[in-house]
Amino acid sequence: MSASRRPDRRPSEISAWSKHAFSTDPADRAAAEDAITRLYALLGEPPPEFVWVPSPHAAVPHLPPPQALSLGGPLPPEARLATRVAALRQRRREFPPELRQTIKESIAGLVRAAIPQPWGLHWYGQQDAYWVTPDSGDPELELWATLVRSCGWWWPREGFCVVAERPLAIRTEPSGSAYRLHSATGPAVVYPDGWAVHAWHGTRVPSWVIEDPTADRINQEYNVEVRRCAIEHLGWPAFIDQAGLKLLSRAPDPGNPGCELELYNLPRQKWHAPTRLLLAVNGSVERDGTRRRYGLRVPAEFDHPLDAAGWSYGLTGAQYAGLRRRT
Amino acid sequence: MFLAELLDRTGLDVLDHLDRQVTVPVIDGLQAQGDLLVLPLALLGSVPGRRDWWALPATGRELVRGEAGNNPHTLVADPGTCRLTTWWRDPERLAVAAFENTAPVYLIHPEHGGTGIAPGAWAVRRQREMGAGFRKPVLIAD
Repeated sequence: MSASRRPDRRPSEISAWSKHAFSTDPADRAAAEDAITRLYALLGEPPPEFVWVPSPHAAVPHLPPPQALSLGGPLPPEARLATRVAALRQRRREFPPELRQTIKESIAGLVRAAIPQPWGLHWYGQQDAYWVTPDSGDPELELWATLVRSCGWWWPREGFCVVAERPLAIRTEPSGSAYRLHSATGPAVVYPDGWAVHAWHGTRVPSWVIEDPTADRINQEYNVEVRRCAIEHLGWPAFIDQAGLKLLSRAPDPGNPGCELELYNLPRQKWHAPTRLLLAVNGSVERDGTRRRYGLRVPAEFDHPLDAAGWSYGLTGAQYAGLRRRT
Repeated sequence: MFLAELLDRTGLDVLDHLDRQVTVPVIDGLQAQGDLLVLPLALLGSVPGRRDWWALPATGRELVRGEAGNNPHTLVADPGTCRLTTWWRDPERLAVAAFENTAPVYLIHPEHGGTGIAPGAWAVRRQREMGAGFRKPVLIAD
């Protein structure tokens, strides 16, 4: 994913085809069952029994544990299907990499990561749009294109096939030339059974980070990425206020006119080196015209914000005071 | 030079809410662009050797990429005016590159816009913060 080179197509012009990956319509069950039955037929398998589930999470109890690799003996249908898919994918045209990044990594990948159970082979239906090309003239690939248009994720197994509905909502934001999951007001992805995935600017987070971030919960959270997202959502000033952090000193930020650096005492945490918090203001404006504040943890030996800011770049406070410009 | 002109000449892009009709200043001294700091080489005790310098290509060079490959800081210059090295030992282990330029070079970033660096000899460092527990400091990726 390149955020720098001007892409051939503008981010807003995601093709009509890739829109299927974001579809929130109910599944077209008849079309999906017909295409899957034909894929089974290509493997010499009889039509499977279909089990429809309202979300990928709801598929878990229907799936047998993944099989260990078996040498010799007949391969299960999903393994033979995977072999055919590998051959199909060699014949197809290439899609732009940001499409794969958006659909496979940023959306399907985050939803998959929310379910800890191993699953064995499965396909993404609508979100196979990153490798399935429409109107290819290849009858086998056309079956996959039908699935892109008609259903969510699916799990082919011997004699039966579990198929999931599409989500009720998929909320994203642009990120360079791709998109990523983000919603500050509720789940980023939610399915008909209420199962949901929350995401903050592309990072999967527990629901409390989006719905009720508090300093108490943030201080109890072990995962630093989750803490960072929750503090960003709550806002640094509110976090400092709620956590009762004590301001030690403040100073004008050199090179960033009108902005101040603030140094706060952080409570001593067991098993952590003593640290203080340096609160700074971004040198560039955000899209909404504001400037973002951000906190950096610095060693507790610094009493002056300039010394702390200098340390973050390996400089002394006096050297950092010579900063001409910050963007 | 206006930001719009700089972007046209380099083929790079910034977020569309940044003002393109601003003049990109050329700074002769310490300056920061997000998590990167450009500092005079003379400020550092350690100076790169004479080997392993190469000309900055016409397409520029990405110095650092942010999280998930986003938001690179890209160094661009007119051909033949800048050479750089990434092979040297910064005692603080924060440097990503050093360069020498005979004409202004520019650092471009999608969220921070552009900034110019006057002719001279410069080092580029990343920013760090304390890691969790007693581990060594971690580098910032914004």
